[in-house]
Amino acid sequence: MLITGIKSRPIYDELAPMATGTSHVAAAQGSGGEPLVRLLGAMIPGQLAATTVLYSIESFTGKNYLADLRNFAVRELVVFPNNADAVRGLDAFLATAKMGTRLYLSGSEGFIGTSMQVATSYGMNRDEVLREHAGSFVRRVWCAHCSHYSENVSRRIFRCPGCERNLIVRDHYSGRLAAFQGVKADGEVPGELPENEELDT
Amino acid sequence: MSEAHHGSLQLRVKRIEAVTPEINRYTFSAADGSWLPPFSGGSHIRVLIPFEGETRRNAYSLMSSPYDTSEYQIAVRRVDEGKRGSIAMHRDVREGDVLSATIPANLFPVSKHARHHVFIAGGVGVTPIYAQLDELSLKGSSFELHLAVRGPEHAALGHELRERYGERVVLYGDGDGTRLNSYEILGGLPLGTHAYVCGPSRMVDDVIRAAHTHGWTDSHIHFERFEDLGSTGDPFSVTLARSGAVVEVSPEQSLLEAVEEAGHKLPYLCRGGACGECETEVLELEGTIDHRDDWLSESDRCTNKLIMPCVSRATCTKLVLNA
Repeated sequence: MLITGIKSRPIYDELAPMATGTSHVAAAQGSGGEPLVRLLGAMIPGQLAATTVLYSIESFTGKNYLADLRNFAVRELVVFPNNADAVRGLDAFLATAKMGTRLYLSGSEGFIGTSMQVATSYGMNRDEVLREHAGSFVRRVWCAHCSHYSENVSRRIFRCPGCERNLIVRDHYSGRLAAFQGVKADGEVPGELPENEELDT
Repeated sequence: MSEAHHGSLQLRVKRIEAVTPEINRYTFSAADGSWLPPFSGGSHIRVLIPFEGETRRNAYSLMSSPYDTSEYQIAVRRVDEGKRGSIAMHRDVREGDVLSATIPANLFPVSKHARHHVFIAGGVGVTPIYAQLDELSLKGSSFELHLAVRGPEHAALGHELRERYGERVVLYGDGDGTRLNSYEILGGLPLGTHAYVCGPSRMVDDVIRAAHTHGWTDSHIHFERFEDLGSTGDPFSVTLARSGAVVEVSPEQSLLEAVEEAGHKLPYLCRGGACGECETEVLELEGTIDHRDDWLSESDRCTNKLIMPCVSRATCTKLVLNA
């Protein structure tokens, strides 16, 4: 679980069945499979039969929970080769979903954040969604200069692949953009870079 | 623009129309001829109605367009039982008269992020929806209205909305034997739908229950009950510590209104116990506070150190506020 002094970072939940829902969709990525297995294990048969699972096997840490996920009698299990495809799969599912649907997200912050963008675009509110962070604490970063998004950033200073600037990753998370903000690292004195520490992720 | 004095506006009655055997529609303009304060769909005003030497303070939803603040419109259903402010509106108020009213407050706004809006109303409960639909149709939002009436002679407002919005307005009880069924209405709706219900408590409870049965969460359910608004009860007196003034709160007015009438000021925004703006510290209390707001937490209430003067009252021999 992520606990840092970053006020803008989302406060994550623990996945547990939302009993008042009439249909459930659980989307996870890599290490997010672990909370997902726990969630499905806590569901009663009726809930499992009303649950669609979307799982991306892309993982920063290399963990894969697909075999465990196959043990549950869910409505549908869809496997995706990468996170972007899983987020698109979630979009397609929500496009025809009805009121009464509950959403469960687990995995990296970038995966949860981009999935939340999709959920929000379909008008889902916070009382219909649970999010549990799992696995690596790498950050998704938005470049304030060229708007490029970089996944899996783990150090304070990095070179933006979009504009080749050296960026410093600020502890400022935007829920709307689902990313931390990256700004030119030597903006004050050209060539003078701050210490390139490992992020407290 | 027309300014509020002690929280109230001066409104001239421009037009009175009988729209059903029980409902009159009143069109007001500012008594000084200027623009009225703007409002959003779902807002209400409280009209100060002179009644046999007293003042009734009845809340009425604004049903005119939020995009035209040259006038306000309300609909008043004559209710023979109760405190009979509506009887005075029907019997005594004439075109050309000037009435005091509070500035508009909105405790029933439309959700800005909804993908689809479903309105359910009974009878005169349709009035806030008039203004809400004006707002939504201009934005091109998706909506439907289900309105129950007690018979064809009570359906005039429903017919008016059908003229404007066509098939999106469904009338029940208009002589064709149909009955409004909230469980059926709320089934199978797309994600991101919001429901709004305005009517008698029984109807509100029925809609909330139906929505929950379909798995809706509370953030998608909005309601306004006929009997909710306002603060009436037994009289009590309050001391304002900073000026030492003692203010008597009559049965028909809120603590906030009594303080304003006595020429003092308290902060306020919603005047409905929702926003928290008027939160006031209680310095001394001999008696109990009747907390009626949606703002203070249960633990705040128990300490009796805070009160929301816009809706809450007290049964007390002494109440001193830090105001």
